[in-house]
Amino acid sequence: MFKYILLIGKNLRRNLLRTTLTALGTMVLVFVVTLVWSVLDLLDGVMAEKSSNLKAIVTERWQIPSQMPFAYALSLGEGAARSPGDVRPQDSMTWQFFGGALAPGVRSREDLVFAFAMEPKKLATMMDDLDNLPADLARELQENIRKMESNRQALLVGPKKLAQIHKQVGQRIKLYSINYREINLEFEIVGLLPPGRYKETAVMNRDYLNAALDNYPRTHAGKKHPMAAKSLNLVWLRVPDREQFSRVADQIANSPLYGDPAVKCETASSGIASFLEAYRDLIWGLRWLLSPAILVTLSLVISNAISISVRERRPEMAVLKVLGFRPTQLLILVLGEALGIGILAGLASAGTTYFVVNQWLGGVSFPIAFFPVFFIPVSAFWWGLGIGAVTALAGSIMPAWSARTVNVADVFSKVT
Amino acid sequence: MSVSTSMFSHQHVSPPLALAWRLPPELTIPLGIALAVLVLLVIVGKIPLSYNVRNLAVRWRTTVLTALAFTLVISLQTVMLGFVAGMNKLTDESGQPGNVMVLSDGALDELVSNLGFSETADVDRHPGVVRDQQGEPLASREVYLVVNQPVSGTAGRQQRRFVQVRGIEDPVVAARVHGLELYPGGAWFSDAGVQSQNGSSGEAEQEQAVQAVLGEGVAGQLGNDRGQERLEVGDVFDLGPRKWIVVGIMKSAGSTFGSEIWGKRSLVGPMFGKEAYSSIVLRTRDAAAARSVADDLTTNYKKAALQAQPETEYFSKLSETNRQFTVAIVFVAIVMAIGGVFGVMNTMFAAISGRTQDIGMLRILGFARWQILVSFFLESLVISLVGGLLGCAVGFMADGWTATSIVSGGQGGGGKFVVLELVIGAETLLAGLLLALAMGAIGGVLPAIAAMRLKPLESLR
Amino acid sequence: MESDGMIVQIRGVYKSFTRGSEQLDVLQDLNLEVPRGEFLALMGPSGSGKTTLLNLIAGLDRPSQGEVWVGGQLISQFSESQLARWRTRHIGFVFQFYHLLPVMTAYENIELPLLLLPLSGSQRKRQVMTALELVGLTNRISHRPGQLSGGQQQRVGIARAIVTDPALIVADEPTGDLDAKSASEILDLLCELRESMQKTILLVTHDARAAQRAHRIQYLDKGRLVSNEVVMPGP
Repeated sequence: MFKYILLIGKNLRRNLLRTTLTALGTMVLVFVVTLVWSVLDLLDGVMAEKSSNLKAIVTERWQIPSQMPFAYALSLGEGAARSPGDVRPQDSMTWQFFGGALAPGVRSREDLVFAFAMEPKKLATMMDDLDNLPADLARELQENIRKMESNRQALLVGPKKLAQIHKQVGQRIKLYSINYREINLEFEIVGLLPPGRYKETAVMNRDYLNAALDNYPRTHAGKKHPMAAKSLNLVWLRVPDREQFSRVADQIANSPLYGDPAVKCETASSGIASFLEAYRDLIWGLRWLLSPAILVTLSLVISNAISISVRERRPEMAVLKVLGFRPTQLLILVLGEALGIGILAGLASAGTTYFVVNQWLGGVSFPIAFFPVFFIPVSAFWWGLGIGAVTALAGSIMPAWSARTVNVADVFSKVT
Repeated sequence: MSVSTSMFSHQHVSPPLALAWRLPPELTIPLGIALAVLVLLVIVGKIPLSYNVRNLAVRWRTTVLTALAFTLVISLQTVMLGFVAGMNKLTDESGQPGNVMVLSDGALDELVSNLGFSETADVDRHPGVVRDQQGEPLASREVYLVVNQPVSGTAGRQQRRFVQVRGIEDPVVAARVHGLELYPGGAWFSDAGVQSQNGSSGEAEQEQAVQAVLGEGVAGQLGNDRGQERLEVGDVFDLGPRKWIVVGIMKSAGSTFGSEIWGKRSLVGPMFGKEAYSSIVLRTRDAAAARSVADDLTTNYKKAALQAQPETEYFSKLSETNRQFTVAIVFVAIVMAIGGVFGVMNTMFAAISGRTQDIGMLRILGFARWQILVSFFLESLVISLVGGLLGCAVGFMADGWTATSIVSGGQGGGGKFVVLELVIGAETLLAGLLLALAMGAIGGVLPAIAAMRLKPLESLR
Repeated sequence: MESDGMIVQIRGVYKSFTRGSEQLDVLQDLNLEVPRGEFLALMGPSGSGKTTLLNLIAGLDRPSQGEVWVGGQLISQFSESQLARWRTRHIGFVFQFYHLLPVMTAYENIELPLLLLPLSGSQRKRQVMTALELVGLTNRISHRPGQLSGGQQQRVGIARAIVTDPALIVADEPTGDLDAKSASEILDLLCELRESMQKTILLVTHDARAAQRAHRIQYLDKGRLVSNEVVMPGP
């Protein structure tokens, strides 16, 4: 066995150029598959229904974007629990979207800031991905939450957004709202949001927005702001299991409090799945067109390399046969060479992709749904190994078989 | 080009005809240069091309494997670019050149635009607005909503789909403004906007169904739910709290309106809680007039703060997603192409090591180094050309496939859920051919240089 | 300038190769003249420098020192690309292992050197057919090398060597890979060509019987000409 591996290694070293080219081709193609699968993996993950510790979202029943009166917030946060036996969610969070430009009338992407207006402390408990930060980032987040609680005008900005608007932490900015007309707010940038998913967004204290809306009639002859009854966009609830979720959803559906507009309560995964429905064909294409085509391409590249090397070594294979190698052993030898290249290159590629993308690039931007970046999951190492092995096997079966069937007499008559 | 005729555009009906014109110079010029260089190389190279072709045939297995890798890369790129071309077609052709789209100030998309009824009552009195025979301005007041519709999802899960609904005051005027027509057998909805459902008991108190005119794309989507090709006139479906009945299907392929359901504004708006217009679309004489009317309304209209823009401009702003997809596609295609390049390098290095004696002999006969280089370079290009052409042919089969997607102006700009048709036009095919040639050239040049550097006397030993 | 009817004049030629750190002197102070139309055989043990000498005369290599004149031109001063162009017109090569392109037909193999000359298609065809006739292979025009016997392949090789009508034909062990009968036929053919077309032939060989067909045999040893045997009077 060990001798085999040694022999395989020697053969691979012999034509270093071909081995290198094949390995590079494999790495490049595994790299694309890893990227594509990382996107699919994340989408599958968020769409998969969890059975415990799940999040529910409450939105306006029919319309997109969801716009509800803020008056709904308190009771929805309680899961519309009224009677003693009713279930209450473990935690909740409200989202109000506030978009503003750095100067009036400006519309370019670089000058727009979109902020979630919410309760600061919920940042650490309810936001996806922020509840499992590494220790140092978690500490920083707690620090920022304290700043936001003591200062209504505090704003946390994602690192990419901050760079885009050419501002620094500590500076003050004024945002001219694009979705709340005439609600122009001054902020102090007190900290950064963690890198990754929230790198292009911002978070503000909801009290600041609501106070501004409440103040509006005083400066406008008692007239309410047109968005006054539409400022609540989303309520998130945390429930322990599916059974509790159904009960909360029922409570909300049957509550008389939410008549105009009506609301709906669904699991976060199902809400996201609905949104991704628009991308269905695109995701299908990634999964069933792009990925297989790359894998087949990879097989072809490997197959080509291996069949070249088998053809060049036919006389040598014949000698091995004369020396007593059995056909199966030759077959294994060739398969082993392919597997060696495939597995090593696959692993190397996945590993490089993992570190380069996650550590260095801070994720891959792919414009699908509302996920600004995608990270390479740890399982990419297995993908790399698996893709390398499977495509190498698929690609080398034919040439390996032809090595197996090398006809000694035939080869020697040609060599003379 | 009007939306109603765009579906019959030459590009779609007969691709070979399309090859004759409409080709962008940024593709034809490089391809022309590439082909000219190819022909020139064949002529000055002196070593007959048949030498290369026959060697490729002798090593048919590696040739096929290498060319197939090219085929896959190119066909994939073709399909992906066809997808974006379909999206571009929507954003390019949905807007009418003479139309002005009026939104409320600050709204990036009609979805978040609110125009009060009374404040905007005389927007269409603007002298630049074209009038019909009766002297009425060609102006369509519309409310645009995205509504979610429950669909039976997989594994019993409650799924929703987002459906775009447009409430229209006067469908005949709207159709003229947007340049849309109905398929024969359909009609626009009535002033009341409702009718009784067919087939049911017909009792007086039975709920009246909302009359709906569907775009082709959404008619197909809703039809698929119940196993039909598409919904037809007379079919009833659920949306929001009401039943809806199809009264007409719009000829709207290739425009974003194809993914919309149109109904009477006075029913649709209140049903989903929007008591305002989203947009007012005005028809002016031509593109120049549209520009000046839009500017005039934006700066001088005082009763409400408006943001008016030529409709074509509005739609072209929705191409941000297209752009992002294009970037992603080009990235993937290039990375895959690099993989293919390594494949062709393997093939060519092997070809050269198997033919060192040929090379040595040719050099001794007096063939120059560069002629050897050209010969092997051409051999690599032959592989790539064959693989690339095949890839274009395979990719072309996707022409006309329908797919769903989103077009949007990016962050916070809303977006439209669209059903699009893949457009594999001449540009896409040319781009595929160019990529194939580039792969062949890049993959072929190093081995060809290696062939050139062989010493004739040594290679004969 | 070609003088005294000498097609090849070699004056004080040294040729050395460096292999690793040691220097190998293959040819030392070599002088040789070959009259036009002569059939000269070069013989000598392995490593005596006979192939190196042939390569210098054929313009495949340049001497380290000294002058090589062929057909009145000082080819030892030519650049590599000048040599390549010169070879096409002035030298015909015959190889031990034929070196035909396996994927091309006999006709196409013979046509190869003509592709480098400014000839029309019909001119090329005429010359190829003439060469085929001279070597007696008109019935094998579209056969590939793999379909021909060794002797036939070498005839194709000879046809390719004469198709450009060069004055000098160099042959390095042209019969080394052939059986006795075929070898004898190939030598007959070379002699015929020399006589009928007034070619000069330089033959490198180990085979004494082959050498006996020449006018003159020039022996080499350790890079020097050692003796000179006249087999039959020169042309």
